[in-house]
Amino acid sequence: MSTSTPEQVTTPTSELNPNLQTAADLVTNHAAETTTPEPNRLDAVIDAAALVDVVQALVDARWGYLSTITGVDLGVEADQLEMLYHFCEGADILTLRVRVPRCGGVVPSVCGAIPSASMYERELIEMFGITVTDTPNAERLFLPEDWPDGVYPLLKDFSMDQLS
Amino acid sequence: MTSNQLENFRIPIGPQHPALKEPGHFEFAVDGETVTDASVRLGYVHRGIEKGTEGRNYVQSMYLLERVCGICSHVHATAFALGVERLAKVEAPPRAQAIRVLVGELERIHSHMLWLGVAAHEAGFDLLFMYSWRDRETVMNLLENITGNRVNYSANLLGGVKCDITDQHEQEIRTGIDFLEERTAYYLDVVSNDAMFLRRTRGIGVMSPEAAEQLGVVGPTARASGVARDVRVDAPYAAYVDHPVNIVTETAGDLEARFKVRIKELFESYRLIRAILDNMPEGDLTTRMPRRVKPGETISRVEAPRGELFYYIKSNGTDTADRVKVRTPTLPNMGSVLALAVGHQFADMPMLLAGIDPCFSCNDRMVSINAPGGDTQQWTWEQLRQYGIEYYR
Repeated sequence: MSTSTPEQVTTPTSELNPNLQTAADLVTNHAAETTTPEPNRLDAVIDAAALVDVVQALVDARWGYLSTITGVDLGVEADQLEMLYHFCEGADILTLRVRVPRCGGVVPSVCGAIPSASMYERELIEMFGITVTDTPNAERLFLPEDWPDGVYPLLKDFSMDQLS
Repeated sequence: MTSNQLENFRIPIGPQHPALKEPGHFEFAVDGETVTDASVRLGYVHRGIEKGTEGRNYVQSMYLLERVCGICSHVHATAFALGVERLAKVEAPPRAQAIRVLVGELERIHSHMLWLGVAAHEAGFDLLFMYSWRDRETVMNLLENITGNRVNYSANLLGGVKCDITDQHEQEIRTGIDFLEERTAYYLDVVSNDAMFLRRTRGIGVMSPEAAEQLGVVGPTARASGVARDVRVDAPYAAYVDHPVNIVTETAGDLEARFKVRIKELFESYRLIRAILDNMPEGDLTTRMPRRVKPGETISRVEAPRGELFYYIKSNGTDTADRVKVRTPTLPNMGSVLALAVGHQFADMPMLLAGIDPCFSCNDRMVSINAPGGDTQQWTWEQLRQYGIEYYR
């Protein structure tokens, strides 16, 4: 399975529209790197430790709403998972990218700032096997009751043999 | 019994229950008739579709993704096609974009009318249920005439659409829309003025604009609380660029407002369909689409009948997507039901749930077959395909 990184274009911050510029200002203190892969998108690489602060800053500034959290397995070789927190405001999308190790990855819960994130976090836990600290409910949301423990279907090395 | 013990009295609803049209499991803690806590367990129709896309090429994935939902199938294929086309730097011809929106609006009419019937039934107003479902056949017939299918229309292709709108279709659509517009005016009158019906909807499940923002709700549920959120308006796609949508909002935030928003949106759909038919671009239906898509990632958002449908697509240079993430509108809206339930009468729960127009199969996305005799078998894709071929032979 390929683990190639997507093609990314770095746009100078002066070219951002006012909406994304506000978002960029809000995340800039914590972001290791920001890119603009598409004109209406801003991606910010965030350390897991800074996630709650950044999310709280966005909520306080009322910048957009958390549309969903996407988990991506970057592959066995890369040995990393990436959690993408997508915030939408009008046509603009801010994505906070948090990388964690494939085994034993831990991210803090954002439910303190956004209670409705609970559903998305439950999905991440059961599909990718990460730990979300302080999440209000870590029970399964989608997978069946008799699904074996420790088997995470959205990991790239998942196989149906693990179910028997 | 002390009040503490009463609070711990928990009533399960589902996964199979007369008030639910699809399977979901809810647990309500009640104090007398008043709900004090609510939780949900989904997944009874989870099919692993996101995982399924990892082993299928883009064309196969589109057919699979269209089957996420039986009601709003077209928007799923549209979101996926628009996203993959953007990654491949291909743009579908204007006529195809217009037909995508036309079918999308017909689908919205079908979905809203289906919902009106279900919600009326939950309120005990079965006559309205039968009226709206009878009238909905009009739009189902139109969709069947255009695409050949009543559900899972399969109108989209990567790089365009596969069905054209002929002069005869146009006439049929105009006649159908005229009839439905008249009926919709009647529905709006009923849900706004029928005293008995209003007792089930007015002031029930009130969600303030602040709460709607905080809960991250989308679609008609958000718009009924005065949150002007509509992807067709915020980030126009396909032919919505040329045909701007007038957003419909209400301020009351109760069930009545959710009824009114959806019914008023029907009028907007009729207007859009006529505008598209009046200005249908000439030209091809498809454009050439490469089989392999260069590495990249994109986010494709469209407005499904229930709200914002979110697709994240990551390509890796092959003919198969590296990751497809689907977030359907029911998931954020479901969270609002759990929050709103607290403090309401238990008897209002089915209506409150119906108010967001939940779609469980959208939410839940293994093929398990219960064979006679009780053995559960797991079939591979190849076995299932072979079974399908032999079944129709």
